[in-house]
Amino acid sequence: MNFLVPVAALALVSLPAIVLLYFLKVRRPEVRVATLMFWRPHVADRQANAPWQRLRPGLLLLLQLLAALLLALGLMRPGLIGAAGIASTTVVMIDASPSMEATDVKPSRFLAAVDRARSIAGQMKPGQEMAVILLGEHAQLLSPPTGDSQSLHAALDRARPGGTAGDFAEGVSLANSILAGKPGGSVQLISDGHSKPPSSPPRIAGEFTYLPVGASGENAGIETLSRSPSGSVFMRLANYGRGARELKVEMFADGHLVDVLPTRLEGNSTADLNWARLPAKTQLLEARLTPGDALAIDDSAWLVIAEPPKHSVLLVTSENGFLQRALALRTGLDVTTAKPGQEKAGRYDLYIYDGYLPPGKLAGPALLINPPSGGGPVPVGNQLDPGGVLPGNVRDPLLRDVSLKDVHVQSASALKEPPPGWRTVIGAAADPLLLVHDDEPKGAVMTFDLHHSDLPLRAAFPILTQNLLSYLLPGGFENQVFNPGQAVALAAEPDARVLEVTRPDGGKSRLTPPFPPFRDTLLTGVYTVRQELPGGSRLSHFVVQLQDPLMARIAPGAAPAIQQAPKPAGLLPRGTIEIWPWLVGIALALLAAEWVVYLRGR
Amino acid sequence: MLTTAELNLLGRLDLAYGRPQSGLYAGERRSPRAARSPEFSDFRPYVSGDDFRQIDWSAFARFEKLMLRLYVAEEEACLNVVLDCSGSMGLGEPPKWTAARRLAAGLSFMGLSAMDRVQVGGLGGRHLPPVRGRDGVSRVWRFLESLEVGGEAGPQDLIQLRWLRPGLTVVISDCLADQGSWGPGLASLRARRQEPVLWQVLAPDEEEPPISGDLKLVDVESGRARELTITPRLLGEYRRALAEHRETLARAARGAAGRFLHSNSAEDLETTMLAGLRAGAIRRG
Repeated sequence: MNFLVPVAALALVSLPAIVLLYFLKVRRPEVRVATLMFWRPHVADRQANAPWQRLRPGLLLLLQLLAALLLALGLMRPGLIGAAGIASTTVVMIDASPSMEATDVKPSRFLAAVDRARSIAGQMKPGQEMAVILLGEHAQLLSPPTGDSQSLHAALDRARPGGTAGDFAEGVSLANSILAGKPGGSVQLISDGHSKPPSSPPRIAGEFTYLPVGASGENAGIETLSRSPSGSVFMRLANYGRGARELKVEMFADGHLVDVLPTRLEGNSTADLNWARLPAKTQLLEARLTPGDALAIDDSAWLVIAEPPKHSVLLVTSENGFLQRALALRTGLDVTTAKPGQEKAGRYDLYIYDGYLPPGKLAGPALLINPPSGGGPVPVGNQLDPGGVLPGNVRDPLLRDVSLKDVHVQSASALKEPPPGWRTVIGAAADPLLLVHDDEPKGAVMTFDLHHSDLPLRAAFPILTQNLLSYLLPGGFENQVFNPGQAVALAAEPDARVLEVTRPDGGKSRLTPPFPPFRDTLLTGVYTVRQELPGGSRLSHFVVQLQDPLMARIAPGAAPAIQQAPKPAGLLPRGTIEIWPWLVGIALALLAAEWVVYLRGR
Repeated sequence: MLTTAELNLLGRLDLAYGRPQSGLYAGERRSPRAARSPEFSDFRPYVSGDDFRQIDWSAFARFEKLMLRLYVAEEEACLNVVLDCSGSMGLGEPPKWTAARRLAAGLSFMGLSAMDRVQVGGLGGRHLPPVRGRDGVSRVWRFLESLEVGGEAGPQDLIQLRWLRPGLTVVISDCLADQGSWGPGLASLRARRQEPVLWQVLAPDEEEPPISGDLKLVDVESGRARELTITPRLLGEYRRALAEHRETLARAARGAAGRFLHSNSAEDLETTMLAGLRAGAIRRG
C-alpha cells in the first residue's frame, strides 16, 4: 500500500486529541437528595469542562477513535497496487464540425456533446482518468489524461465548434498516443457522424464507443451566391431534408431589405435563382433564407460588391495565352504585358516573368515561370522528366480546391533541394515543381514551361493561379470567401502600419507588422479590414461563410469505420486502486453507530 | 400548628384500631375484657363466686337457669406516633418536615380527643412521656415544634424504641434510608403487640425529580455522592424504582399485620387524611 497524500497523516493528531478530551471531566453541580438508592450509576460522555479525570474506556471512545483513524487514513488516500480494478483511461473525442451547431438537439448538438462529456467525467471512479480531444480542422487536446473532474470541466468550457469537418483520423492518432502503454483504455466519440472520414479505417488502441448526437436531417441553405459580369446575382438554394419547404430569400443591400424572393424546394433538391434588381452603388449584399431551421450558419450568404483596389501587374512573356486568360479572370488587376527585355521600369504590385529573368535583383513580389537555368533566387539546372506530380502538402492553402489528379509535366528544370526560405508546394518524384517564399518579398517559382504540361488544360490551373495571386498580391484577401475558422492571411500594403479587423458582431482586432494570419473567423458574415497607410486609411472586406455542402447535410451519420486493436495478452497491468471511499464509508457508518449508542445511553 | 378548620375536620375523624385495646384506665376504646358498661356483650352461666348482682333474673324466669349478663369494657388505647427526624426529612419543596410534623400533630389530636394515651417521639431520638386528654394537645405540639431534623435514622432504629406501649404505632417517615429493611422493624412492633402503620411522606420533587443533565447527587445523611447524567430514561428508571420501593414497604407492613400509606408534602391536611381513610388507618368518628 502506498499513500498519495502522505502529508494528510497530520490528521492522525485527532486520535490523541479525542483521548485527551476523555481525560477532561464534567464539572457537575451538586444536588442534595434524600437517597441514592433509586439512581442507577450512569455517566454519559458529554462535553467536558474541567480537568482531569481517570480515563474510562467505553464503546463511544472506541467508535470515535476508529472513525477518526479511518477518516485520517482516507485523507491520506491510500492505494493498493494490484491488477484488479486497474485505473482505466478514457479518451473522449468531441466532434467540432459545423454540422454540430445544429439545434435539432437543444441547445445544440455541440453543447449536448459537451454535456455528455461532462456526464462521463462525472461518472469517473477513483483511479480512473479521462482525456478530451476536440475534433476540428486539426485534432486539439483539450485536456490531457486526468482524474480531476474540475480541470476536465474547465477544459470542456473552452470547447467551441469549428468551421470545417472534424479530422477523425488525426483524433484517433492523438488518442492512440494517449493510450500508448495504458491497456484497458477506451475511446468514446461524440459526433453526428459528419467528421472527415479517414482514407482507411484507423486502428484504435482501446475499446471504441460511438455516442451519436442529432435527431433530424431537415435543413435548407444557400449553397452559392455570386455575381456575373453583367451585374445579375446568381443563387443556388438547396434543401437537404426529405420534406418540401416553402422558403423566402430576403435580399439586403447594405443592410436594407430590398427584395423578397419566394420559392419552393422539394426534398433533396436544389433551385437556381437569378436576381437582377441589385441597386446601384451597393457595396455589400446579403441573402437571408427564411424561415430559419436547425442549422443557421448556412441560412445566410454574403457578397462584397465593392470593387477592390486595383493592383498593377507586370507580365513579361513571349506569348502565353493560358496565363493571360487566367489573369483576366481576376477583377481588379491592371496587367501590363511586355516582351522579354522590353519591359518599362516602374513600380508594380506583382511581377510575372514567363521564361525570362530580368538582370539584377527582383523589385518586389514575383512569380517566375520556367526561369532560365543558373540565375535568380532559385537556381535551376537542365531540363529533365520530373515524373509524377504530387502535392507538397495537401493542406497547403495554395492548393485549396486544386486537384492535381490528372496533371502531367513533360519536362522541368532540375532542382534537387529548395533553397533556404523556400518551400515546395507542388513536387514531383525527382524535383520540386512549384516553390514559394513566405518571407518578404514574397515569391513563387514554377520550374516548368506551361506549354510542356497539361496543367493549363485542367480546371486546377485557373484556381491555382487565383490562389497564387491572392498569396502574392497585397490585399489578396479582399472580397474573398473563407470557411469559418479558417486562418486568413491579411496581405497588407508594404507601407501599412496597422490592420484593424471588424468582425460581424462588431468586435475589433488590431494587428501590427508583420501581420500574422487572422484566425478569429468562427463567426459567419462580412469582415471589414481597415489598413492605416501613410496617406490615410483604406477599407476592404472579406466574407466568412459555410462553403461545404456536406456540412449542411445534417442528417445524423453512422459511426466511422475503425479497426479495433487486439487486446493485450498476458498479465493485466498493475495500477493503484484507491480505497479512500471505502474508508470514509466505514467511518461514516461508525459515526452513525456512535450516534445510536449515544442516543441509547440517554 | 393546625388551624381551627383543620381541627374541626380532625374532630369528625377517629383513629381506626384494628383490634380491641386494653389500657390501664377506662376509656372510649373497646377492651378485650368484660366489665360494667352500658353496652351489652353476652350471657354466661353463673358459677360460684360470681357477683350475684349481675344475675339476669328475666333469663332465670324464662330458662330456670342462673345466667350472668356481660357488658363490653371500654378502656383507653395507646397511640404511639414515631416521627422520623433524620436529615433527609428536611429536604423537599414544600418541606417534608413541616408536613410530617403537621401530620403527627393531627394524629395526636385525634388520639387525645378520643381519650387515648398518646406518646410522641423521634425515630432514634427523644420522646414525650404519655399524655392523655385534650389538655395534652399543647404539650404534644410544643414537643413537636422542639424537634429538629439531622443525622441518620433508619428502620433498624424501630427495634431500639423501648418507650412504645402496646397499641397503634404510626411511623411517619420518608422511608428513604439507604440501608436496612423496614420488615424487621415493623415485625418487632408486631411482636410488642403493636399495630404498625407506616406513613410515608415525600415531597413532589422526590416523586418527580425536576433535574436533568450532568449532576453530582449527594446523600444528605451519609454524605455519599454519585456523579450522574440525568436523562429522561434515567428519570423513568427512578420512578419505577420508587414504585417498587413502595410496594416493598406495603408488603412489609402487611407482613406485620399493619398498613402502609403515603402522602405528599404539597397536599393539604384534608387530602392527607383522605389517604388515611382509603388505607383504613382512619375512620369517620
